[in-house]
Amino acid sequence: MTIYLKKFGTLLNGRMLGKEAFAAFLPSLKDIQNDEKIEVDFDGVDVFSPSWGDEFLSSLINKFGDRVILKNTQGLSVKSTLDFLEDINKMKFNVEN
Amino acid sequence: MNINLITIKKASEMLGVNSQTLRRWDDSGRLVSIRGKNNYRYYKKEDIDEYIKNNLKDIFKMAKSWVLDKSGIEPRYDLYCKDTSAFQARLTKLRNELSKIENLKDNYFSITSIAGEIGDNSFAHNFGNWPDIMGIFFAYDFKKRKIVLADRGQGILKTLKKVKPELNNHLDAIETAFTEIISGRSPESRGNGLKYVKKTVINNEIKLFFQTGDAKLEIKKGDIDLNIKKSSVKLCGCLALIQF
Repeated sequence: MTIYLKKFGTLLNGRMLGKEAFAAFLPSLKDIQNDEKIEVDFDGVDVFSPSWGDEFLSSLINKFGDRVILKNTQGLSVKSTLDFLEDINKMKFNVEN
Repeated sequence: MNINLITIKKASEMLGVNSQTLRRWDDSGRLVSIRGKNNYRYYKKEDIDEYIKNNLKDIFKMAKSWVLDKSGIEPRYDLYCKDTSAFQARLTKLRNELSKIENLKDNYFSITSIAGEIGDNSFAHNFGNWPDIMGIFFAYDFKKRKIVLADRGQGILKTLKKVKPELNNHLDAIETAFTEIISGRSPESRGNGLKYVKKTVINNEIKLFFQTGDAKLEIKKGDIDLNIKKSSVKLCGCLALIQF
């Protein structure tokens, strides 16, 4: 399945809003098959802050691990935040551009 | 009553001055009211908006005096975000307006995201624990290329102490917040937003002043070391000035 982040907004900011977004989306993830990939598409996201990203992506990766794949991450704000999150969390995202 | 007219009480809240001051301004012709049938003073909302627009003082001085004020009152409505929804709405407006500034190019993403992280920090770490006034002061002045955020919250030292109890002064707390990766976040859900702010400022044409308690910090493009100093004034929450 693909999660289009722009459907949450083009300015993704705030720890609480990131947490709320994940909680609100959780029911849509219940039918995911065991081997199914979860693509997170950043197309159209204008400002992507680490507080929102950390809450949403970390929760998703905690639940689905390597099956989470990030797409269309070339935007400056997206790239800068993903680099930062990799750095502080000492991990690497699966990115497919 | 005409729906465009507002009471003197509402006007005083919008302007951040008391009703007595408004009566004086009315008598002197500085900001004229309209008398209702009951002879009470009413104001046109657009007159209040126009007055605010034409009398915008230095937003940093206003924020500083707000965080230093002993009793604490809610800031003027156009400078105030009481909750995260109001903050998100104003941040979106800031992003939209910044994106129209031609010579900023792609820098508006960075400026918006650091304002977002600083404001979000205020809400995240004071949620349910605001000492007096809930919410933040958030204003920008594009002529002077300034964005100001402030809160009357608990300050970084108090919130950071929950994950790093050995901290005992604001200077160490501000340095930790901007440099040290806090991994064990429980029980305090402290993120690493201020480290992102530092990284973004260093890589862009942005300057940041940040104060919490009696510790102040300045960062600009290309800085390697943080310029942290003790301030002669102590404030309860946080005060930030972004210049671009």
